[in-house]
Amino acid sequence: MIQFEGVTKTYQSGKQEIHALNGIDLTVETGEIFGVIGFSGAGKSSLIRTVNLLERPSSGHVLINGKDISTLSAKEIRKTRKDIGMIFQHFNLLNSKTVFHNVAMPLILANTPKNKIKEQVKELLDFVGLSDQATKYPDQLSGGQKQRIGIARALATNPSVLLCDEATSALDPQTTQSILELLRRINREYNITILLITHEMGVIREICDKVAVLEAGKVIEQGTVFEVFTNPQQPTTQRFVRSVMNDELPESLLKQLQNPSRKNSIYRIQFTGTSVGQPLMSRISRKYQLDLNVLFGNITELQGAPYGNLIVEFTGPAEEIKKALADIQEGNVNVEEVLNYAS
Amino acid sequence: MLVDNEQILEALWETIYMTGVAFLFSLIIGFVLGLLLVVTRKGHLLENEPVSKVLNVIINIFRSVPFIILMVAIIPLTRIIVGTSIGTAAAIVPLVFYAGPYIARLIENSLLEVDKGVIEAAQAMGASPFQIVFRFLIPEALSSLVLALTIAIVGLIGASAMAGAIGGGGLGDLAITYGYQRFDTLVMFVTVAILVVLVQGVQSGGNLLSRRVRRR
Repeated sequence: MIQFEGVTKTYQSGKQEIHALNGIDLTVETGEIFGVIGFSGAGKSSLIRTVNLLERPSSGHVLINGKDISTLSAKEIRKTRKDIGMIFQHFNLLNSKTVFHNVAMPLILANTPKNKIKEQVKELLDFVGLSDQATKYPDQLSGGQKQRIGIARALATNPSVLLCDEATSALDPQTTQSILELLRRINREYNITILLITHEMGVIREICDKVAVLEAGKVIEQGTVFEVFTNPQQPTTQRFVRSVMNDELPESLLKQLQNPSRKNSIYRIQFTGTSVGQPLMSRISRKYQLDLNVLFGNITELQGAPYGNLIVEFTGPAEEIKKALADIQEGNVNVEEVLNYAS
Repeated sequence: MLVDNEQILEALWETIYMTGVAFLFSLIIGFVLGLLLVVTRKGHLLENEPVSKVLNVIINIFRSVPFIILMVAIIPLTRIIVGTSIGTAAAIVPLVFYAGPYIARLIENSLLEVDKGVIEAAQAMGASPFQIVFRFLIPEALSSLVLALTIAIVGLIGASAMAGAIGGGGLGDLAITYGYQRFDTLVMFVTVAILVVLVQGVQSGGNLLSRRVRRR
């Protein structure tokens, strides 16, 4: 478990003070994948670095499994760091050493016997699917392969926590997908707690259990991925959600629909959980004698649960539309107005 | 020609000897100073502003004195160290004072080229400062260090020739006493030619070694 308690970080840049972190309170439970998202400069990278004290908080505490790490001696900090793996956006591998040597590095530092290093590195390379690349050098590998080496290296000391610093930001979408799958496997098979920072909402949707949105060094919103994606509160969060769940109607279409003579109202209807499977639209259409025109629709999976999103044009008497909406809202369904001719 | 082959060979040996011994000592001094310059920098492993400032000033002072003046200026110190101020052994002392700070700067440059991310990764792994320097920083910089030290050796060969001016022996001595003062153009030509070959050889060797240590 990682707990941030009122963590602040202030840098001195010339005469100016820069507040990278402004009182962070967060709890990452053991075994979960926790994502922190924010635009560049939001403080994500400072935040993740306070966990292994690559950056020391200016005030506040970071507790790992209940222990305040800022009170530790240099030696104890090094010991704690061996329990916290970290992977990086630019991989940070040693270019002068082979893949084998790179993965072996944490074990060499710990004075592990040679034959044991050999055995463990082989196992790690097998796990990340690169056992045939052991004698190669990092500059002979692709970005995705380099990140796999980084992951193998981070796992060498059997950590209980893995920190991912924009681990997929330098990779193409396909490679990102495979790295995220690998991270999920690590989380499930080894029960390693993962704290990741990213500016890509797709990464959060793909693997995270919980998410916190960081802006100007503060957590402006947090919750389960499902909650935040289906009901984002803050404008920044909404922007992030929209970046991966494009559910906006094109401007030209909206203009065309905004014709008073059409006597239409447009609503966004969100289904969650079991309500996704119901033939709601046709039932409503028949019951209230309304014309329903689906302008947009999609179903996504969030944390393993289906989430449907429809934008529907209702055409008919205002009274009937009102009744229909009340009916719809009775289920596990959320309705939001996009356009209303009556108002 | 006023000198025979044997004299030339002896001078060549003196040059190699002076350069070699001076390089060894200045490498030790330069390595320690260069490493300290890097790790005491702001934001580095063992950040220490006072040490960093003092080192920089001292190194800059030595680096700003022309070698010919440095040679004369530290004669009293040379006498204390080797017991005399003339001869090959005596020439080594100013050479070390000249090349040590120079090598420190070269090593500083090479080590600073190492990606900060690699150091961060090393810290995240729980490496101690000692391990970071010897397991990460130096191996990553080795290829560039070899090239930098090649430059230093070439510089030392040049400086050792100047040491001939205070009776340091070597090819430079030969060139000045016979080639310049006694107008023997051939001696001048031969010594310069030997120096050219020497420098070419050192540079080629350095290039080769640098390529070989890039990946190990």
